[in-house]
Amino acid sequence: MKIRTHLPIVFTVPTMAVLAVLAFVPTVDAVNIALQNRELSNPDSVYVGFANFRALFSDARFLNSVWVSVEWELITVIATMAVAIPLAILMFEAISPKLRNALCVLFMVPVLLPRVSAAFVWRFAFHPLFGLAVYPLRLITGHPIDLLADPHTAMATVAIVDVWQWGLLFAVVIVKLLETLPRQPLEAALLDHARTWEVYAYVAMPMLRGALISLVFVKMIESLRAFDLIYVMTRGGPGITTETLDMYAFSQGFIESGRISYASSMAVLMMIATTVAFTILWRRVRRWQEA
Amino acid sequence: MARGLSRFAARIVIALAAMSVIVPLLWTLLSGFKNRVDIVTPTPMIFFTPTLDNFAYVLGRESVRTGLLNSIIVSGASVLIGAVFGLPCAYAVARYPMRFAHDIQFFVLSLRFLPPVAIAIPLIVIWLDVGLYDTRTALIITYSLLTLATTIWLAIPAFKRVPPEIEEAAFVDGYGPYAIFFLIALPVAWKSLIGAIVFSFVLVWNEFLIALMLTTSDAKTLPVVASEMTQLGRDVPWGILNASVILLSLPPLLFLGVLSSFLSSVLKPRNQG
Repeated sequence: MKIRTHLPIVFTVPTMAVLAVLAFVPTVDAVNIALQNRELSNPDSVYVGFANFRALFSDARFLNSVWVSVEWELITVIATMAVAIPLAILMFEAISPKLRNALCVLFMVPVLLPRVSAAFVWRFAFHPLFGLAVYPLRLITGHPIDLLADPHTAMATVAIVDVWQWGLLFAVVIVKLLETLPRQPLEAALLDHARTWEVYAYVAMPMLRGALISLVFVKMIESLRAFDLIYVMTRGGPGITTETLDMYAFSQGFIESGRISYASSMAVLMMIATTVAFTILWRRVRRWQEA
Repeated sequence: MARGLSRFAARIVIALAAMSVIVPLLWTLLSGFKNRVDIVTPTPMIFFTPTLDNFAYVLGRESVRTGLLNSIIVSGASVLIGAVFGLPCAYAVARYPMRFAHDIQFFVLSLRFLPPVAIAIPLIVIWLDVGLYDTRTALIITYSLLTLATTIWLAIPAFKRVPPEIEEAAFVDGYGPYAIFFLIALPVAWKSLIGAIVFSFVLVWNEFLIALMLTTSDAKTLPVVASEMTQLGRDVPWGILNASVILLSLPPLLFLGVLSSFLSSVLKPRNQG
């Protein structure tokens, strides 16, 4: 269909222009603000060069939040995949298609909940005195146990909620992908006396390699959006054990001191780090998928 | 025998996963209908006299009603902007050979890489300087970035799945390119497009961080109002909290059916192209 028309220009240029303005204005301004010493309470400010950035690298709380973010990223991505893949295989193997479809709908519920709601539901369930989830622990030990207030368990407890939302969704995605696989290679492997787990490990999962890599990529991006969960469940506490970068930037720029320029310099570093990392990864992902 | 046993074990694991969804949500639902004394019990209570007080209180609060109204206006307007500008753009990228098609797709995707906090912090300053801080207008414009990017990203494959033969037949029948888009492509792809639009709605309805940072009183959305209730002091009104969380969660769950069939249609192997 070769028609000479200006439709592509009319349809894309205005939209892309709007998007570009919406995206670039805050990005450029973030850099601009990061180079000043602006505070929320006081609109007067002067340019201070890279002073904010230099201050960041001697700020122990900032370095802690970098580490917490990396830890969060690793825990949630790995745990999500570790829940999703086995659960999907079990669903594909052990239950009838009808029940499977019903469960697929059910397992989409957690991820559709506003994260504020999901966080609250579980904070309520983990409440040391009358939470349902810790009720068995309370019965066994006879003491109230506050998992969210213990520095050793707080991060893992918040991560459970994240995995609850994303792990179950990914299980649904993988089940639907398994359903689309051609049967012959799997049956051939079974005829060759492969055990069930071997069929999945050596035949089915490699066939889904491209899709699984995309899922990991998606989860890495989504794990950066942990703020809502952490804000409602721990507010970065106990102490600063669950204070991720976005949580720290928020409290610097907003609650504690209103140091908007300092917070902005963190924002700039985050933008650079994630954009560079994900651009490189995205290229890789493309290549792996095509290979 | 061993096979039956492992199948049984597998079913238990699946049942546990299902319980992890049902039990906490059911518990929240039940607690929304409980009096405080029935919630603050060392042993969880299953049987109790239900009350509507919590919901009456929540719906009667000025802050909740404003939040609800703000949420509806803000997500409605930004979803509309996302659809009106995003769908034509997605169609053009999907259908017309363009030099920048890949760049456009990558640019739209890369917007998702940006940490929300990194956008919100400069926007606080920008909206303060323009005098639009804590207004619905500011939120709608900010959210349009989200809805546009999401709608374009999800609608491109939806338009690609429209069989090109239909559009070619329409062209032969004398339809112009714009008529083909409005009268052929849009109606044919409609089912998947609704999925994409609903998805962008759920995203902005649930959005919390940007709303928290860009509003202080007038333009607060429902998630911000609900989160403030969850931060109340020692003597927490748990019943009211549960009721407000239920209210907040209902709209996205209404679309469960639409979104689950959208997911299935995305993951189905394509028949052509």
